[in-house]
Order: sequence, then C-alpha cells, then structure tokens
Amino acid sequence: MAFHLLQRNRDGAQRLAEALLAAMAGVNHCERCRNLSDIPLCAICASERRDPSVLCVVENPADVQSIEQAAAFQGKYFVLIGRLSPLDGVGPEAIGIDKLKNLLNGGEVKEVIIATGATAEGEATAHYIGEVARATGLRATRIAHGIPLGGELEYVDSTTLSHAIACRRDL
Amino acid sequence: MRVDLHSAFVLHQRSYRETSLLLEIFSLRSGRVGLIAKGANRQRSAFRGALQFFRPLLLAWAGRGELATLVGAEIDGPFSALSGRALLSAFYLNELLTRVLHRDDPHPALFAAYRQALETLAQAGNEEPALRLFEKRLLEDIGYGLSLRFDVDTNAPIEPERDYYYQSDKGPWRNPPAHIDTVKVQGRTLIALAAALLHEPEVLSESKRLMRFILASHIGGRPLASRQLFN
Repeated sequence: MAFHLLQRNRDGAQRLAEALLAAMAGVNHCERCRNLSDIPLCAICASERRDPSVLCVVENPADVQSIEQAAAFQGKYFVLIGRLSPLDGVGPEAIGIDKLKNLLNGGEVKEVIIATGATAEGEATAHYIGEVARATGLRATRIAHGIPLGGELEYVDSTTLSHAIACRRDL
Repeated sequence: MRVDLHSAFVLHQRSYRETSLLLEIFSLRSGRVGLIAKGANRQRSAFRGALQFFRPLLLAWAGRGELATLVGAEIDGPFSALSGRALLSAFYLNELLTRVLHRDDPHPALFAAYRQALETLAQAGNEEPALRLFEKRLLEDIGYGLSLRFDVDTNAPIEPERDYYYQSDKGPWRNPPAHIDTVKVQGRTLIALAAALLHEPEVLSESKRLMRFILASHIGGRPLASRQLFN
C-alpha cells in the first residue's frame, strides 16, 4: 500500500493522512458509555428514543456496530474497551468498572445485558459484571450461545453443541 | 526438534500479527512452553475452537529456541466448562503457574494436580480448598514443600491448640527470633494442611493467609492480577 500511494496516488495519500490526523485529534471516548465518539456524549447515549433502562455491555466499539446493524436492540450501551485478562494485567479498573458502577447506581438502568465474547476471558468478565450488577440490585442477563441460524448440527463444534443442549429452552 | 501429540493445557494466549496466536502452555512432558499457533485466528484454521483455556488438549509442536511452532491440536475428551467464581479461580491457577514455573522444565506430578484442581473447580462450591491444595502441591513440586508437622526450632510435634509463627521456606516456630519475618498460624491449621483436610472456615482463611505469605517470595514483586477479581 505504501508503494502504491507513493507511486500512483499521492493526492489520495494526502487525504488519507489528513483523515487519520483528524480522527486522532477529534475522536475520543463518549463520557457516558466509553464508545468512540467525536462529540462528548455519543449519539446513542444522547438519543431520546433509546430505552435507558436496558444497558448492553460489550467488549469493543466494533461490537456496538455489529449489534446496531442487527437492529434488534433499542437500549443503550457500555463499552469496556477490552475484557478482564489477569495474565495480561488487565484488571477491573482497566475496563472502566468504576464508570459502569456509577452508571448502574444512577437509577435509570433496570437490566444489564452482558454481551462479552464466548471465551474464557469473556465469561470471567461477564461473571464479574454480573456480580457488580447484582450488588446494585439490578437484573443481569447473559446473551445466549448456541447453534448459528442455518447451521447443521453435524458441523457445529462439540463445545458449542454441549452448551446449546445445556441452555435449551421450552417450545 | 519435534514433540508429538500429548496432554497439555493452554495457560495463556494472545493475538499475534493478523491471524496468529502466542500461546503459553503447560504440557505433561515439557512443562511450561511458549508456542506460536500460526493462522489460528483464521476462519478455516484447524486449531480454531480447540485452543481454549482449562480444556484438556493434545498438542504437538516443532522447532527450537524460545518459541516453537504448534503443529497439532486436538481436544482430549469431554470436560465440564467452568463458570463464575470457579472460572476466576482457574485463571488464578494459570497466573500462578506462569509466574512460578520456568520454561521447558517438566512437572508431571504438578500437571496431574492441575488437572485434578480443574476437575474439582468444575464442581462448584469447592474453590478455596482446591486452590490451597494446589498451592501446596506447587510448592512441593518446585522444591519448597511446606513443613507442617514439627516446630523447626525444638522439633516438637505441632499441637493443634497452640499458635505458631511460620517462616517462609523454613517452617513453624513457637518462639521465633524477633528479627525474622513470619505469619501467625494456629497448630490445627498446620495439621489440617498436612492432612489435606480443609473444611472449617477458620482453617481455610488461615491457610489462605499462610499461602499468600509463602507464595509472595516465589512470584516476584508484582502482585497477582487475578486476586483483584475476588471480592
């Protein structure tokens, strides 16, 4: 890419450099949900149409985008910017637990949906946040894991399959 | 050098470059080993889904030097997934192993103890005794086994109703010299630890304090991050 820009597209390279500079200077974290935003309070947090009683906790800004694209969620978000990873020295304060606690104590939130990844670290993070939410007397829920839509059981890995069976629901 | 498929656990993993993973594993035959799993984050990688924490695996690798290359990974039988406090406890075990063990130094007995500890953790409600017994096995295995039966000064047998002062890497004293660093512990806690029978809450909390004091000299200056998660 560097060679292409230098040899054939110097204008483009200039625009790219300016865009990157502008992004570095202008994009910060939303003061409420920690998502990336170019204004102090991001558009989702500021929106009157979103339901403030349901808070979805995700690991990364990209996860917010994924859920927004799925368009099924009308609540607000909190972005951890990472997940608990004790062996990397990432503890509760590094993922903004204090800020999350303040938000939960604010009185607006009734339910916390924990949408961290289905990895051991994601589960540990979910457990930790679940405890924090319960200590505040709020309902804490975890997103479901299981068979992907359109998936044949035969091709699903054994861990997912056993989880799907453990978390079955009534028809 | 090539190491064939054999029992191992993933202690730690992190992303490396676009699609690879750096692994820290604990293997039956080689102890703690650093591996690179090339392309493990690709959609179609053969390793995808296999390289999970706390899950019995069969791993094979090739290469020499600090970082060998993972060449085979299979899931080794069924296992019970950990959740909640048990999961946090399991991360503590992994952090302890990465901090205490040296690379390429086999510890087959400790490997068995680790597997056993994970199985105990999977049955919720037994975290504390499982952690204490694992810590005890770990110290034995690295050559710093606890001295739990006799007063190091007088050689008198430990009496359950008396208080002792435990000196790291040495043992319990009834009357230690003033200048040495010790932690106070009741005789019955020492006896319970020796017999691996940790049931009473008081014995458990004293054992925890004792182990924390002794382990401090083996894990270096930085505190263990996974301890922060318990409160």
